[in-house]
Amino acid sequence: MTIPAALFLADGSRFDGAGLRHEGIALGEAVFYTGMTGYEEALTDPSYAGQILTFTYPMIGNYGVSGTAAQHPRPCVTGTIIKRIARHPSHYLSKRDLGGWLDEQRIPTMIDADTRAITIALREHGTIWAALAVGESALLDAERRLVEFTRTASTKELVPSVSVAREHREGVRGGPRIALVDCGVKRAILRDLTALGAEIDVLPYDASAQDILAHDPQAIFVSPGPGDPTDLPGTIETLRALLGKKPLFGICLGHQLLALACGARTYKLPYGHRGGNQPVKDHVRNDVIITAHNHGYAVDAASLPPELEATMTNLNDGTNEGFHHRRLPIAAVQFHPEASPGPSDAKRLFAQWFDLAGIAHR
Amino acid sequence: MPPRSVMVLGSGPIVIGQAAEFDYAGVQACRALREEGLRVILVNSNPATIMTDPQIADAVYLEPLTVDSVERIIAKERPDALLPTLGGQTGLNLAVELDDAGVLNTYGVALLGTPIATIKLAEDRDLFKKKMLEIGEPVAESEIVTDIEHGVRFARRAGYPLVVRPAYTLGGTGGGIVRDETELRETLDAGLNASLIGQALLETSLLGWKEIEYEVLRDGAGNCIVVCNMENIDPVGVHTGDSIVVAPSQTLSDVEYQMLRTASINVIRALNVQGGCNIQFALHPDRSEYAIIEVNPRVSRSSALASKATGYPIAKVSTRIALGQTLDVIPNPVTGVTTAAYEPTLDYCVVKIPRWPFDKFPLADTHLGTQMKSTGEAMGIGRTFGDALMKAVRGLDLKRQTLTCAEFRSWSDVELNDVIVYATHERLFAIAEVLRRAGTQTAAAIERIHAASAIDRFWLYEFAEIVAQESAKVELPPAAFRMVDTAAAEFPARSPYYYISRGESDEMRKTPSQAVVVVGSGPIRIGQGIEFDYSCVHAAWALKAAGYSPVVINNNPETVSTDFDVSDVLVFEPPGADEVEAVYRATGARGVMLAFGGQTAINLAAELNRRGVTIVGSDRASLDMAEDREQFDAALARLGVARPQGKAARSFREARAIARELGFPVLVRPSFVLGGRAMEIVYNEGQLASYAESAPPILPDAPLLVDKYLQGMEVEVDAVFDGDDILIPGIFEHIERAGIHSGDSISVYPTQSLSDATRDRIVEVTTSIARELRIRGLINIQFVVHDGSLYIIEANPRASRTVPIIQKATGINIVDAATRIALGEKLRDMPYGSGLSPRVPFVVVKIPVFSFAKMRGVETVLGPEMKSTGEVLGIDATFAGALRKGFIGAGIRVPDRDGKMLVSIAEEEKAASVPIMRRYRELGFTLFATDGTHRVLAAAGIACTRINKIAQGSPHVVDLIHERGVDLVVNDAKGPREVSDGYRIRRAAVEASIACLTSLDTANALAEALEHRAGPPRSLQEYHATTLAARG
Repeated sequence: MTIPAALFLADGSRFDGAGLRHEGIALGEAVFYTGMTGYEEALTDPSYAGQILTFTYPMIGNYGVSGTAAQHPRPCVTGTIIKRIARHPSHYLSKRDLGGWLDEQRIPTMIDADTRAITIALREHGTIWAALAVGESALLDAERRLVEFTRTASTKELVPSVSVAREHREGVRGGPRIALVDCGVKRAILRDLTALGAEIDVLPYDASAQDILAHDPQAIFVSPGPGDPTDLPGTIETLRALLGKKPLFGICLGHQLLALACGARTYKLPYGHRGGNQPVKDHVRNDVIITAHNHGYAVDAASLPPELEATMTNLNDGTNEGFHHRRLPIAAVQFHPEASPGPSDAKRLFAQWFDLAGIAHR
Repeated sequence: MPPRSVMVLGSGPIVIGQAAEFDYAGVQACRALREEGLRVILVNSNPATIMTDPQIADAVYLEPLTVDSVERIIAKERPDALLPTLGGQTGLNLAVELDDAGVLNTYGVALLGTPIATIKLAEDRDLFKKKMLEIGEPVAESEIVTDIEHGVRFARRAGYPLVVRPAYTLGGTGGGIVRDETELRETLDAGLNASLIGQALLETSLLGWKEIEYEVLRDGAGNCIVVCNMENIDPVGVHTGDSIVVAPSQTLSDVEYQMLRTASINVIRALNVQGGCNIQFALHPDRSEYAIIEVNPRVSRSSALASKATGYPIAKVSTRIALGQTLDVIPNPVTGVTTAAYEPTLDYCVVKIPRWPFDKFPLADTHLGTQMKSTGEAMGIGRTFGDALMKAVRGLDLKRQTLTCAEFRSWSDVELNDVIVYATHERLFAIAEVLRRAGTQTAAAIERIHAASAIDRFWLYEFAEIVAQESAKVELPPAAFRMVDTAAAEFPARSPYYYISRGESDEMRKTPSQAVVVVGSGPIRIGQGIEFDYSCVHAAWALKAAGYSPVVINNNPETVSTDFDVSDVLVFEPPGADEVEAVYRATGARGVMLAFGGQTAINLAAELNRRGVTIVGSDRASLDMAEDREQFDAALARLGVARPQGKAARSFREARAIARELGFPVLVRPSFVLGGRAMEIVYNEGQLASYAESAPPILPDAPLLVDKYLQGMEVEVDAVFDGDDILIPGIFEHIERAGIHSGDSISVYPTQSLSDATRDRIVEVTTSIARELRIRGLINIQFVVHDGSLYIIEANPRASRTVPIIQKATGINIVDAATRIALGEKLRDMPYGSGLSPRVPFVVVKIPVFSFAKMRGVETVLGPEMKSTGEVLGIDATFAGALRKGFIGAGIRVPDRDGKMLVSIAEEEKAASVPIMRRYRELGFTLFATDGTHRVLAAAGIACTRINKIAQGSPHVVDLIHERGVDLVVNDAKGPREVSDGYRIRRAAVEASIACLTSLDTANALAEALEHRAGPPRSLQEYHATTLAARG
């Protein structure tokens, strides 16, 4: 027996499909991801916290769930929408099928949905609050819950929900020390820093400047994460206090937070960038790379203070993709050099930043 | 200094491994070059292409693609630059030869795009392997060999199976997988011979690994993008051209996808490719390991597929890159904003299934391996794999609507398993049948099939689901049109490129003007080739010029017609009744045009008519009258036009009675077929009986036609009729006497031996038939002139194979005329004139080209069933000159003087061969002949050496061929004799790449060509100017 499911958008539109076995309501921002592979990475990417994720690629789950691709201990999306889910995945690393895993993880999931129609609606309307209901009773309740949610919804709790509660140490023991401010870090970032030989102190998003400096890091990395960077005034203050004291590098939300700390502004994109095919022009190297993205906000390039120089631009919509400080070892990018999912054209950035900070690496 | 003029090399005739994809690429290239204000000089010997139309390039040379011929054109045109990477392997090899011969240097011609050094690096297996090792990219263990013994030594060390890959060939000619020393020796001998440089690679087999392809673009500044990746359902071992291919990959994790993407970029950078490049990988199914199989530093069949699969125009962007532009300044043609520097992302799935010619060649070895055998392909786009796969299956035009087919019900489990283990063209359907038989035991069956074929379980479960659903009858949800936008709907696009997704929301936009639907011809197969695509494209252009919005429906990814630039709306779907009707209704079209899409489109007439779809042009009644034997005979009787006597038989018993009544020989063929399928001349009852055994069953609505076979000169016309006036741009005369399919005959325009009286009678009869059949548009009629009288063989109320040739020869656009007539215009209001157009002051000769070397075992004797895959045109001031250019263009390499030839002639023709053989003697040829032929020639005073028949022991005829002791074989044969000496002689000649002619008429024409010199190269535009001048 099929379980009914539907996505309700705050503008009153509704898209129907079938549910997986876990019944319930997911509330959040409806967004779409355009990558054709990497569903396990995407579903566990902390930057999707608080979001209902639609996959534009229609066949998802083909190679199962491996566990090794996960970016976080558990899925971070509140709900997900798929055109066709593979019931019989095939891959030597697959531990189980995606549907079974989503049910087990209690993620409301709609399948057999017209994901392209949903994507077009999100493109036309922009990112929007939504409710994904799976099961008869959820469907009855969904619209009321959405109205309520729309009244009270906030992105403020997203970063706290995915950041580490307590600091811990990872990476190569005795290697150059990096402090990582965790706003929702992906395993791939820790993997790439480890590959360079670094010892990483992972600190909560609200660690103070003193806490961070107490670890005597050779550089501070600010991680990606979900939501609106202006929700984190404390973190911005902390970063401002660290300017000029240590090399500072930011990725995605970290890029936005560093920009804000330096006095620039950020703004909300109409429907964000989520996928693995965004072309980025590097003005310093004068080349184009294809990059992985997952963000709903952007840095206003025109607002960058004189000491910051925009180094990279998105060729699709002209948004800022990176900047560096003219005098200090401070640099940040909007995209994900760690990829996972997505292309690894920008992988070299980590080593470049280590060089900029004068850190010896592997 | 940037170039002001550029020469573009085409890929020549269609052969297996090199088809319409290079017309598509070439047209895009020429357009892009002209948009930049460059003068474009195009060379291609293939007249059925759009690229050789005078409006595509500034100077179009339908001349042979040889160093000698192209050098003359370079000397005349003095282009600043040459663009070689869009003409397939032919264009690439020719560029390398021109460079090696110093031609480019002598005339100061710069090479655009990927440098020669890169081309050589990618083609030379040894250099390539070294380069890959240098950059740390894995390749399979392999060895370059130039002689057989060396290969055997490597094999003893590395073990079997091994893959043999000859260097510098196309479509894997001469290659294969070998399992023991005998196979190695045989395959390596053929492979070394097929290689331009006598070199082959032996490689440890990666059998069973996943085969994955990446289409990569790189600009001169080093920016790289991946347009698309593709996964072959058939694991490594089956040529990608013969594999079922899916875009994007489905079973690769992101880690694997990105690993191969990064490797692709490493490779294209290391090779310094500037433009498009195809990279093939083998990926281990059970661990993180891969090996590079091969790299093609040019646009390819795969890049055409990737372009159609994603909407990203690889050839156009490659051309701009060749001009030095970088990806971030080339505008994005799909969105109209942003740049070409991005990677397409799909929100649908694409499946390509090859179309094989085995229905034409009953003796062919149908096993698939590293040598490509398919002639074309059908592509399906669907929101899910199952949707896309079934669209491709239906699109093959094999009358198969489902994955399980009734014809497999009678196969034994062993037979099915054989096909699954040793892949043939039927593997997909054999798997479906096994899954059907498995019932609820799907999982066990899938394990067995996986073990036997190494096909990934993912696909097998998908097939199983399709099979399971076939038994459940479900009402089809309404058709909705979805856009191919390269961006998964992330950005609004303006490309008018759609596919159908049932039960989803519709995105079809209103057409700018009144829509008219042009129905395409589907995958390329023998008998229905690129020429129909040519007509469809012209019909679309004619509609646009007449103020309509052309809507094209077709499913061939190689072609120009499925370039969304050609029409106002492109619907990429199989041209079936459901799809055509859906398109017709969704666009509110005035009507559908069936006359340009070959028999595939014509066959829809009755069903579309029944559904109330308006057919513009000749309507269903005309089509029926031409196709239905009784109606057609009645029409001819009313007109007093003779045709070879004949009748329609509804059983083989009836056929025998008719044959007795008419007297043998008779011509037998099923009605409603294309390319003379299952058509044969039978000389006696025994042959008729064996025909009955092998021919397809006679269907109630398609009886078997039995005609008296009349030998004589065959003549062909294409005409347009508007209800009042007729226009016949020209008459073709065939070199070979009737009995050889018109597609396989050499044909000449203007006619060389037709009397004025017969000519006038042809015009008269053509007009009256067009009137009687109520033609509104094109009609093609074939005649035979027998004992001075004119007989009609057949009339086709549609575009024919010769339409592109007559348009090119005369400059008269009859497709435009036919399209406008279909819409209600009259010839008298058009600039094309009426009646028979004046002869042009030059001669064109069409010569067919065959792909016999790719098809082990097939009989090469020509007959009423078509066997050629392509054609070339020779144009010259004289008949002999045109013949000469045609033969050269067709790849017939015979020395002008003092050659050596082997002659073996059937008894009936021995006397007729004497004057022809005398011509060769006078050219200084040394003749070798078998007993009977030797006796006749010697008696006629023609010096020749007797050579043993096979049974007479070595050294015999076949030894002579194997040793390449001759340059030419003339072996005429009558009737099917596929087990005879003649068959072995012909096959040996094909395998040794020695020209082998099976008709004395062809041999006579070749002698004529060898005796004369051809004139200098002239462009089509120059020829057309001489026509205008001659007409004052």
